[in-house]
Amino acid sequence: MSDDTDSTAASCYLDEKTFRLSCGLFLEHSSFLNDGWAWEEVNGSEKEGYMKKTVMVPCRISSTPCQSNQSRLVDGDDALLEEEQLCDQDEAVGEPTAAEGQAAVRYEYHVLYSCSYQIPVLYFRASTLEGRSLSLEEVWNNVHPNYQQRLLQGPWDTITQQEHPLLGQPFFMLHPCRTEEFMRPALETARAERKGVNYILTWLSVVGPVVGLDVPLSYALAVGPPAPKAEATTAASTASASASTSGPD
Amino acid sequence: MTKLHSSNAGTFAKMSDNADSPTESQKDDPPTQQPPTEDSGLVDEKKKIDVLLKAVGDTPIMKTKKWTVERGRTVHSLSQFISRFLKLEPSEQLFIYVNQSFAPSPDQEVGVLFESFGSDGKLVLHYCKSQAWG
Repeated sequence: MSDDTDSTAASCYLDEKTFRLSCGLFLEHSSFLNDGWAWEEVNGSEKEGYMKKTVMVPCRISSTPCQSNQSRLVDGDDALLEEEQLCDQDEAVGEPTAAEGQAAVRYEYHVLYSCSYQIPVLYFRASTLEGRSLSLEEVWNNVHPNYQQRLLQGPWDTITQQEHPLLGQPFFMLHPCRTEEFMRPALETARAERKGVNYILTWLSVVGPVVGLDVPLSYALAVGPPAPKAEATTAASTASASASTSGPD
Repeated sequence: MTKLHSSNAGTFAKMSDNADSPTESQKDDPPTQQPPTEDSGLVDEKKKIDVLLKAVGDTPIMKTKKWTVERGRTVHSLSQFISRFLKLEPSEQLFIYVNQSFAPSPDQEVGVLFESFGSDGKLVLHYCKSQAWG
């Protein structure tokens, strides 16, 4: 990361100021695309806030909950099935065809900063058009096939139900413990090629698709890292205000 | 989410055109088999693009790094291929990055990625494996 004033050059963590600035840059492009992201302040505090977006997502809500051994992969690549690593996935076809793509679910995503982990965390909630909240199993079932296999190895390690730290309401959360594991390669690769990275963009591009959140390709070209002198670079009015910023708590 | 990947199954490396049948299995050819496809100039160049795969982190390096891929192949399909090639454990998740630090949507077609990020006639993709969650 270009913000060498922090230890982020050596670590894969994110300080709160960089979080806000990175979100600001992200939000600039979002505004350009008009794709629905917004910054929410908490208690009118400039220091505390999060990114939020609500979107309708077509999904598979079937009556078949995600069993521990049952794959929801809909991959038609039978060649894969020959591999022992997919021995659990014999049920390649587990889709409720009739319902697939028919049901629309309202997903609300929140990107929060975790002081304790020093990274962003993705919270979300999902409900049907009738207002019924999705169950954890339904959420699992709705995870993109690309991640299903890994998910099945430990669903509770991946998506769990948590109280939203700022709103105090029940949300789902994508578990953040190993964020560093998938961030590190991307950050190091970029650094090796002397390219700055917008942590939020990289992170969200990885975690978003897991839970139905799409980050359009144009972000990759349009959103850069916060400037090195990351003070009130005012990436966006939303992310400004580092007046009293003395780093994280 | 549609089953885009179902039509992208099958042979990868040489990218035969009859890659619709899933059972036209890759035969798990060890990398020593055919050479990468420098000869991409042949078959329908327009329908296929050159992809260079680069490992990052502790991820094993594929012996064959350069592949010719149909434009319509999705990131998800590519990810499956690499995972299979590398024999990843079920608990390991493969991540693919374009432009060093952006993970394209699994449903994204590589042809589109090539248009945006290709250079010198090829698309460079970084990949890494990770336990990822938890």
